[in-house]
Amino acid sequence: MRRSRFPFIVTGVVLVFFYLPILILVVDSFNASRFGGAWRGFSLKWYARLFHEPAIWEAARNTLFIALLVTFVSLVLGTTSALALHRFANSRLQRGHYTLVYTPLVVPEILMGISMLMAFVAAGVELGMLTIILAHVTFCVSYVALTVLGRLQDFDFTIIEAARDLGASGWTAARRVLLPMLAPGLAAAALIAFTLSVDDFVITFFVAGPGATTLPIRVYSMIKHGATPLINALSTLLLALTFTTVLVSQRLSASGSLKSRTME
Amino acid sequence: MNKQFASRWLLAALIIAAGILSGQCGGGKKAMPVLHLYTWSDYIKPELVSRFEAANGCRVVIDTFDSNEAMYAKLKAGATGYDVITPTSYMVSLMRGQGMLQPLDPGLLPNRRHVDPEYLAIAIDREMSHSVPYMLTNSGIAYLKSKVRDFAPTWGMFGRADLKGRMVMLNDMRETIGAALKFLGFSLNSTDPAQLAQARDVVLGWKANLAKFENEQYKNGIASGEFLLVHGYSGDILQVQAENGDIAFAMPREGGAISCDDLVIARSAREVRLAHAFINFLHDPAVAAENTGFTQFLCPNRESYPLLDSSIRENPGIFLVPEIKAKCEVLADLGEKNVLYVKVWDEIKNGM
Repeated sequence: MRRSRFPFIVTGVVLVFFYLPILILVVDSFNASRFGGAWRGFSLKWYARLFHEPAIWEAARNTLFIALLVTFVSLVLGTTSALALHRFANSRLQRGHYTLVYTPLVVPEILMGISMLMAFVAAGVELGMLTIILAHVTFCVSYVALTVLGRLQDFDFTIIEAARDLGASGWTAARRVLLPMLAPGLAAAALIAFTLSVDDFVITFFVAGPGATTLPIRVYSMIKHGATPLINALSTLLLALTFTTVLVSQRLSASGSLKSRTME
Repeated sequence: MNKQFASRWLLAALIIAAGILSGQCGGGKKAMPVLHLYTWSDYIKPELVSRFEAANGCRVVIDTFDSNEAMYAKLKAGATGYDVITPTSYMVSLMRGQGMLQPLDPGLLPNRRHVDPEYLAIAIDREMSHSVPYMLTNSGIAYLKSKVRDFAPTWGMFGRADLKGRMVMLNDMRETIGAALKFLGFSLNSTDPAQLAQARDVVLGWKANLAKFENEQYKNGIASGEFLLVHGYSGDILQVQAENGDIAFAMPREGGAISCDDLVIARSAREVRLAHAFINFLHDPAVAAENTGFTQFLCPNRESYPLLDSSIRENPGIFLVPEIKAKCEVLADLGEKNVLYVKVWDEIKNGM
């Protein structure tokens, strides 16, 4: 019997849909023409100009700073939340907790942005980097918690008990057994939190204060008034960075799990 | 092994974060006042900002927004901290009505005497009580000289069947219905249902010849020759002209819309004195001329006109001939009457 070509075609079409726009963007970032559409020769001038745009780098720095801090905080909070959710899965309190953790995933972003802005204003918190970080942590915690929770569901807790039997304190067991074995899940959660924070626009727009313009906000306003090829060049650099991060993290987690497997 | 790996990574991340944080804090010198400007991106020449900072011993922090409505929603919900903002005129009247703006102190703005009285005559805030005009743009017609035969500067060009499928009009109800109202000889702020119905029929006639209604891609489209004739903003077209010399811009003889972004001071502004100084600085004729050259929009500052580059000075798409200028209007905020336009626009979008 001949194998159906259908899955092959579907995969191909999906890949084209995913990657063709990105490819066009990358190609256009080397186009000498400012308005795309027509190819007017290879040029690196947009990259050169990018390095003379302090506002963009300022925004990039803000974004990176926020994302790193958000990743760290939401990783800690999300993981502890997942541990509680897993351990006391059947208590009524934790079922309530689960609903609360789950809600930010389904609340529309615009609603979350406006309501947080109103909350900050009502509480008299000055808008700025802090409010962006708080807002990002709020939705990142949910993603981290659910990712880690998934990982915990097929975690064998008898290993912890074995460690305790062998004389490890609760803290030592958590530090030397639980966390290392959860590491791939934590890495995945951290990457999700990082990416969400880096490219969030809607919520950030509302809670950002003066002097805290992030890259997505900057890019949006540039589309209206600025030079789009600069955005293409910037996006190409970001893509390169993202792909490298993903590759590195894949290699890290692959070698990590190999190691732990051989250790077992 | 794994644990060491993880903790090393964590440490590295923390060090990077701490480094960035200290960089963030180190940048702000304490005693220096900070002026917060909330504006469109690339809307002021960076060197001018540095010059203002040096002259006034302050720092200017610029944040950007991408639409009047988003900016309004944010401020309306209570966001504060911005001193000078640059909304479009219609939004200025809305914000002023809501008490979101401060009245300006004319004593602190000696340069307001340079503001072009011809523009002020058609402006919404003629006394400059709450706003000073910053940058003007007018919407007109751009076309490819080599491809469009017998071009005539009239909105009626969109009725030309020989250009069918190669023309674009703005996807903006006020601009496009306004063009039809002008074509018929009415005001583009008309709220007369009969006039609007006539305008609807005119736009429906044009629609048959249009490739689409569109706001951004038309620039690329005319630069690459995909479109032959487009309805667009003078500032945008000027930027495209720099790349494709075959593009010409014309203001229709029936007149059209002029829109203006204004400088205003937010009700919650902290650096009110500095904000006035900044607005005053931007209307220094030499500064205004430099800014116009950078943004390619026109700062309506009469004394700056002679200082402008001849390519701008002699462009009839920017410096309109008086007869056409007299027929141009500023899009006003129509308040509740806006629904009339929404209704007509829906009929146009749905009609054949």
